[in-house]
Amino acid sequence: MQSKLSDIELIAQTLAGNQAAYADLVKRHQRFVFTLAMRFAKGREDAEEIAQDCFIKAYRSLAAFEGQSKFSTWLYSIVYTTAMTFLRKKRVDTDSIDDENTYIQVESQSSAFDVNSAENKSRSFYLNQAIGQLLPDDATIITLFYQGEQSLEEIGRALGMETNTVKVKLFRARQRLKEKLERNLKHEAKELI
Amino acid sequence: MNNMEEQLWNYIDGSCTPDEQKNIGSLIAADEAWRAKYDELLNLSKEFSAIELDEPPMAFTYNVMEVIRAEQASVPLKSVINKRIIWSIAVFFVFTIAALLVYIIANTKLSAANISIQTPDNFKIPNIKSYITKPVIEVFFFFDVILALYLTDAYLRKKRSLKHG
Repeated sequence: MQSKLSDIELIAQTLAGNQAAYADLVKRHQRFVFTLAMRFAKGREDAEEIAQDCFIKAYRSLAAFEGQSKFSTWLYSIVYTTAMTFLRKKRVDTDSIDDENTYIQVESQSSAFDVNSAENKSRSFYLNQAIGQLLPDDATIITLFYQGEQSLEEIGRALGMETNTVKVKLFRARQRLKEKLERNLKHEAKELI
Repeated sequence: MNNMEEQLWNYIDGSCTPDEQKNIGSLIAADEAWRAKYDELLNLSKEFSAIELDEPPMAFTYNVMEVIRAEQASVPLKSVINKRIIWSIAVFFVFTIAALLVYIIANTKLSAANISIQTPDNFKIPNIKSYITKPVIEVFFFFDVILALYLTDAYLRKKRSLKHG
């Protein structure tokens, strides 16, 4: 059972030496952090490593959290930097969401999609699949906006970008997600949309 | 087309100005193309919001807390001991040695002709036997054991960190 205390109250208890309070914070945010990590890692084991690393880093620097933003926004900024470092280590090219070569490469990976099995799949399956085919930056912005319920300003703070930049990137990411979805679903897309 | 989609997304997200909101609202009401696009994007937005989060492994929280507990357990003893205690012990020893030196120097008689150091007549070595009781010896050995453990711990840590580079 999860604690009914707010994030700030749990942080105060953790800083006072109550480790169980931090366990509650982890339980509360683990699904979202893990999902964000999945947007970068594309594999459960790597995502688990990133997510675990994020919570440990957050614990170490919890005293530095000033409470000027939401704890979740602060935590997501840690997820983003940790995931980027992880990708750099793995030598995966994530330099730019506008990198055409990467875009083509990712698209070609999705060509293995089996259209015949489409009818048996759920809507969320298609969307998750389409998100999985996006570049990490695109997938992260969409996940933060829709699942994380973060405002454009908060996303900007978490990713270290201007609000207007986030707005433009979100627009492009949605366009790409829509294209992926349509490509994957082909005729079924019209019924779904 | 993009401009229309961009404006409609801003309208759906609520990120446009009140004037723009009003204009786009009237375009949706009056223009069939705008209305169709708006419905399409609104449905997409609902679909995006309904995407389910991934579930981490069952033991995720436990694993995180285990790492944190292990990290805290390996904090060197040096950082746990209050530095004031170390300083007060150091000050006590320095003060005792200094006081002893001052006392000895003050009571020493030096003669130039015959360089000899004579202890004063009234200087008596205190009978320390009366102070060496069983509890004192126990405390002394306990302190030695703690000191030995502390130094061994520091030595092993240093050795391990050198080994791991």
